Amino acid sequence: MWGKGIITGMRITMRNMLRGPITVKYPYEKLELPERARWAVAPTYDEEGRPKCTACMACIRACPDHILDLEVTTREDKSKHIEHYSYEIGACMMCGLCVEACPFDAIEMSHDYELARIDPAELTYALLAHVDAAPAKRARPAAEPKPDPAEPAPAVPAEPAGEEAADE
Amino acid sequence: MSAVLSATPPVLAAIGLMLVNGVVLIYMLRKVLGHLHLRLGPMHVGPKGIVQTTADVLKLLSKEDIKPNGVDRWMYVLAPVIVFVPSLMAYAALPFSETLRITRLDTGLLYTFAVLSLVPLGVIMAGWSSANKYALIGALRAAAQQVAYEVPLLLSVLPVVMIVGSLDLGEIVAFQTGVWMGVVPRWFVLLLLPSFVIFMISALCELNQTPFDMSEAESELVSGFATEYSSMKFGLIFLSEFSNSFVISALAVTLFFGGWTLPFVPESILVPIAPIVFVTKTYIGIFVFMWIRGTLPRVRIDHLMNLGWKWLIPTSLAWLMLVGVVVKLVAPGGVG
Repeated sequence: MWGKGIITGMRITMRNMLRGPITVKYPYEKLELPERARWAVAPTYDEEGRPKCTACMACIRACPDHILDLEVTTREDKSKHIEHYSYEIGACMMCGLCVEACPFDAIEMSHDYELARIDPAELTYALLAHVDAAPAKRARPAAEPKPDPAEPAPAVPAEPAGEEAADE
Repeated sequence: MSAVLSATPPVLAAIGLMLVNGVVLIYMLRKVLGHLHLRLGPMHVGPKGIVQTTADVLKLLSKEDIKPNGVDRWMYVLAPVIVFVPSLMAYAALPFSETLRITRLDTGLLYTFAVLSLVPLGVIMAGWSSANKYALIGALRAAAQQVAYEVPLLLSVLPVVMIVGSLDLGEIVAFQTGVWMGVVPRWFVLLLLPSFVIFMISALCELNQTPFDMSEAESELVSGFATEYSSMKFGLIFLSEFSNSFVISALAVTLFFGGWTLPFVPESILVPIAPIVFVTKTYIGIFVFMWIRGTLPRVRIDHLMNLGWKWLIPTSLAWLMLVGVVVKLVAPGGVG
């Protein structure tokens, strides 16, 4: 400790000094997040900018924290209108179960990690509000676009099985 | 009256040097420690954080002067002054070059050490008058270790004095000019390496520097004897601490590294740059102190006392005796 240890320690710190700092000056520089990073839940949109959400409520049922809330009105022609789709980020544990439950890839774990809020009321906010929900057909991934009208019966049981496999 | 007048400019110069030193050394300490730890140190105020310390000083100056309840009023106010003044006085005998020094003292070395040994007095006053248990523990630790290590510190410089035959710092430097056998600088560090090692260890302890910073021990004692001090009173204590490290490093340079001289450099070039050489050498010494500070963990207080009383003092006494015998054999009359 008194002899060789001191020399070794001094050598290590000098090597560190010559190596230069490894600090990332965070607010000025930001590192690229890895693809799998899970931060705030965010809705996704199709090419025309319409939300992919069909208001199927799967995410609301999947959420273990009960922080997602979807209020929807159904019109006479069965099309749905999302009044608001609220999300309480203050209680979200970023588990990603809602994203896995979504059959239409309508929500994702975004890479937005600067989540601090000044006002506690802002900890609950609407992901979507006052928009038309996508009809399930439009939002569904176009795996089998043609045979759908021809044989509707076998297509329905086949798809959930395929989604479960994709989820795993 | 004229003596007072003629003494004023050098004293002001010393105060100026001390303040500039303090500002530069605090910045340097934070940068060096940062880089030793793979960090950046201050970066925001000014380019590369260069005016950070100035901003800190302004902050200290503008802060409210808090005096806690229950302090011993006069001692509490006087203590920072008593810590600060010896640090300032210690500049008096330092030879920055052959001509540039505040005063020439035949007993310069003795004077510097005598003045520096007043610092523990102010430290004890600060700790005692603060009416705070952490401050008191810190002060007593500081006093204990500074008193304990003053002995090996003084013993370690005695061989130099025996060989030179003078306590005048200028003469000690003059003795180290030139080279042996054409290549080896006549620096005492090469001749008296054990003395230098003992000097370094004791000096770290005198300065209350890591690994011997039990008197401050941030993790245990808040801020040691300075706990209850704020604003510029704290500034004075802090300044004196950095100034002491400059003085000790300057002493190390003077005693062991040939002071303002450089080997192989002709006199004509050396004379104008002598103060720069001296200050550069001193700063290299301070850098080594900071390097040690950034590397080593704190020693336990009983280990510290063991090291001082059981190892350093006997070793330095034995080394002193050996050097004395050799000096007597080689150069009869050299002892004086």
